[in-house]
Amino acid sequence: MAEKDKVYKCLNPVGIQMPVNTFPLAPRIDSLDGKTIHLSICGEPDITIPLEKRLKSDYSNVNWTQKKTYGINPVRLSDEEMKTTDGVVLGVAW
Amino acid sequence: MVIDFEDQDEALKQEALARGVPNVRWVHASRHVPGPEDVDTLIEPMLEALTRPLTEKEKESGRYEPPWQRVLFEGTLDEAQTFYQQTKVIPRPLNAPIAIYTDGLPIIVPTEERVAEMLKGTSRKPGEVITYQSDGRGTMMDRHLGGEPSKKGDVVQFQPQNWTATVEKVAINAVMAGCKPEHLPVVLAIAESGCGTSTTVFSNQWVCVSGPIVKEIGMNCGTSMLNPGNPANAAIGRAYQLMAINLGGAISGVSRMSSIGSPFNMGGVCFAENIDGLPPGWKGLNEEHGFKKDESVVMARITEGGIEGAQFSPGGYRAFQKSGHGGIARRLDVKGIPGPHNWLEYLVPGLWANREGTRTFIMVPEMAQHLYEIGFKSKEEVCEWIWKKSFIPLKEHKNYSWPDLTTDGWMGIEKTSGKHWKELPDDYMVPAAGDKPSDNCIIVGGGEEEVCLEISAGPAGGFSSVNSIDAWR
Repeated sequence: MAEKDKVYKCLNPVGIQMPVNTFPLAPRIDSLDGKTIHLSICGEPDITIPLEKRLKSDYSNVNWTQKKTYGINPVRLSDEEMKTTDGVVLGVAW
Repeated sequence: MVIDFEDQDEALKQEALARGVPNVRWVHASRHVPGPEDVDTLIEPMLEALTRPLTEKEKESGRYEPPWQRVLFEGTLDEAQTFYQQTKVIPRPLNAPIAIYTDGLPIIVPTEERVAEMLKGTSRKPGEVITYQSDGRGTMMDRHLGGEPSKKGDVVQFQPQNWTATVEKVAINAVMAGCKPEHLPVVLAIAESGCGTSTTVFSNQWVCVSGPIVKEIGMNCGTSMLNPGNPANAAIGRAYQLMAINLGGAISGVSRMSSIGSPFNMGGVCFAENIDGLPPGWKGLNEEHGFKKDESVVMARITEGGIEGAQFSPGGYRAFQKSGHGGIARRLDVKGIPGPHNWLEYLVPGLWANREGTRTFIMVPEMAQHLYEIGFKSKEEVCEWIWKKSFIPLKEHKNYSWPDLTTDGWMGIEKTSGKHWKELPDDYMVPAAGDKPSDNCIIVGGGEEEVCLEISAGPAGGFSSVNSIDAWR
């Protein structure tokens, strides 16, 4: 067989993705009324400041909580906050 | 639910899968529309995403186990070359084909035989998982972003997809890059950095080797060390980029989002420190980072700014130092006075003119020697002098772009005073060159024409990882 026709086994350069356990989404809430919704903001204030204002003025029956950082890692909710929060909006626009 | 920019969709999907929530709901924000108008558009879909009942698919749980195969292709070398060069059209924001396994250029086909030959460059077993070889090193990204300190033996996760790799995987990429077996310990030490590629703005990835291995493998640390031509520099630099693509999953337009990109990353950049060119008492990168003088290390960096340099015309620097003539001497008011003079004085006014941040100074041995002769007995002393020169009034600091981020929206603590940013008067002096002198970096190398390059490294030194090469021999 000519060298150019020789068949080689060629190896895979791609990294190994470890198996991941996947989870269902958290149950949705039936309505916003009286609920505690958390804004986890690590995005751009040009968006998140007017968003926060609108939510608090147009949806005043919701208990809006927020934690913000200019960095790219969201500020985590404490275990206690997790128990009393009905929904989370994560703003990561960068 | 998540709010993100539309062009980040693919990155978001990948991250959501890696975090175990592949069905996460998200809405788009705009990069262009003023905030209040943007809110008008996204607020209803956002609230609807919180209240719309889950679909059956969204209720699913399970386990994602991607298929894995050691042998990727069987065929002739020509067929394999075609296979490895295959591309995929990436839609917005590229609308162009991007190579799946390569940097876009032909590679050395990683046959089993070639990879086995490459593995002779290390004593490590092919199946050994890449782990940290010492405590607290972490990947370049982990440390910058405040991740948990890593421990010796922790598995290295390659960015951006957080994949892992074995010694054989690194060897495969080294073959593809054109490395020789004696380069493999360097490439393995680079792998320990995680081979990051962030950010969305401007990201240069480069590596600098220091220590005895520079001569052992014939690296160029002299004239044109950043130019093409030296096989070790070129192949090792390319190996970084191939590992970023293959081990990290850094695909332009999908998970590698640097808006314009950087010429540093086109083919990869690797060079070496000229240990013999260091003035007396100046430490090499190895000793500076806690390694022994006879230990070989590699510094892997992501720097987030531009590169400046060659401020001196041919002969201009020599006229300044030899006889005190020319423009530099006139500016520094040493006309007619032979040197050595502190040439850094010539650079300082422009260093932070348009952008604050740390700098890596790559200077030729002669210029380092001049600094030594005027009294700088270590790199640390030079960095401290530069850092002190960088102080500017807070009022001026506020007019840069980065501090909004680095001060956490001015909500954080200013480090030199320990006070909240908002408590400080406008005339309070703050450093523009990082939080501390050692955020800056000096590398000695290059030829005999007098040149200093300054690589902007971002407000906190950029991303950096210095790892032992000898640990991987």
